[in-house]
Amino acid sequence: MNPSPEPWVWIAAFLTLCIFSFLFRDNIFYSFAEHLFVGISAGYLIAITWHNQIYPNLVLPLFMQGNLVYIIPLALGLCYFTRFIPKIGYLVRLPIAFLLGWGSGVGIPALFQRDILKQTQGTLLIREAFSKWDTGLWAIIILIGVLSVLVYFFFSKERKGIMKPAANLGIIFLMLGFGASFGYTVMSRISLLIGRLQFLLGDWLGIIK
Amino acid sequence: MNIFKALTKIPRQIIFLVIALAVAIPLIVPLGLPVKVMPKSKQLFAAIDSLGPQSKPVLISIDFDPQSMPELYPMLLAILRHCFARDIKVILMALWPQAPGLAEMALEQIPKEFNKEYSKDYAFLGYKFGVTAILLGMGENIKSVFPVDYYGTPLDSLKITADIKNYEDISHIVTLSTGDPGWRAWLLFAQSRYNASIGIGVTAVSAADVYPYVETGQVIGLLAGMKGAAEYEILVQRNGYSEEKRTAVQGMDAQSLGHLFIMIFIIIGNIGYFFSRRRSNSGRQK
Repeated sequence: MNPSPEPWVWIAAFLTLCIFSFLFRDNIFYSFAEHLFVGISAGYLIAITWHNQIYPNLVLPLFMQGNLVYIIPLALGLCYFTRFIPKIGYLVRLPIAFLLGWGSGVGIPALFQRDILKQTQGTLLIREAFSKWDTGLWAIIILIGVLSVLVYFFFSKERKGIMKPAANLGIIFLMLGFGASFGYTVMSRISLLIGRLQFLLGDWLGIIK
Repeated sequence: MNIFKALTKIPRQIIFLVIALAVAIPLIVPLGLPVKVMPKSKQLFAAIDSLGPQSKPVLISIDFDPQSMPELYPMLLAILRHCFARDIKVILMALWPQAPGLAEMALEQIPKEFNKEYSKDYAFLGYKFGVTAILLGMGENIKSVFPVDYYGTPLDSLKITADIKNYEDISHIVTLSTGDPGWRAWLLFAQSRYNASIGIGVTAVSAADVYPYVETGQVIGLLAGMKGAAEYEILVQRNGYSEEKRTAVQGMDAQSLGHLFIMIFIIIGNIGYFFSRRRSNSGRQK
């Protein structure tokens, strides 16, 4: 065992143990670490927003370099604060409308390309998919999976005849998907625990190298 | 209380203790369980491995914070080692405000191992807020979005960035992403709109969401969680690029044992639930 001489490592270890103490029950040490984290995060975000965003993108070009075009984003930004003055509170709609219009215009075509066109293309059974037997088999399974899940979410027709087994097959594919997601979630949470234990046993106590 | 009912009511503190021991013991006494490298990790490795000193730089976007370090930080170290070992130029940037500290930590360590110089072999552009404007702007002109690097030096003055304009001057973009902004935005704007080549490293919790994009070829490769990081570390070592400590590989024994005990608890809970319900049903029928 070779504990770290660094005071910051000891502080980090203490705060880690404070957070872990919640596993037993809620207590003052956990509350202390939680409040400290929230406070530091908020302070850090305010400082970094000023230094990385407001100063270089607004204060510098508008007030130092005299670029008057930047009055427009400044005015739009200030409109958000009109919510605090009920008489002119309606002005908040201006920046929201601008953001919604701009965001939709930019996002919808790209989203269509990413999630619909390319994904539909990937579901098609093309000749290249059958260059190997396993890729061909997976291509067929993906096609069946997509179609059966779509049938499951098709609510305009009563589930009778072929629709019923197809929808049931869709449920199986959905459950497999949920199972995979849950498995990955467990893996992720265990990884976080491993990371903390590597810090406590390695960086702090020096038990592992 | 019968035994089956007791199985469904194991105190959570005991479950936490067992999981903690199952994870801690293999870290102290490694078991050396094998780690199989998955094809999607190999794809990302192969894409970077195909580059060389004359290739365009690789852009690594650090889109995570310290909370996701156990899964994504080893990926960052392994990819940097891979790039520097092959003399590939690297540009780093961040979409998360907490990421610059992580980038600096990695850049203090890895370039020294390979005698790499700032400006000539790598550069760090820093963090910018406003993901949509950033990624779209970079598609037109990277220097208009990042006129200076993280340390305030104009990009025109850095050797590595002097001649780059937009995504066309980047060979691959690798986003190490823990949520939004992250891989979704990179795919949405850089890949769909500008056809940039994107590799993704994600926390395991997001991995299932990325798979469809790998299958369609929209993503060149995927590293999923700590396992993905371990796989990349193994590939880097197997190809003789680095012999340094492999943090993610070190955690794989603990990961396997942790999963094993969670599976045991799930089975125990289900057995208890199934038999205690059956017993109460048969009691009611009598």
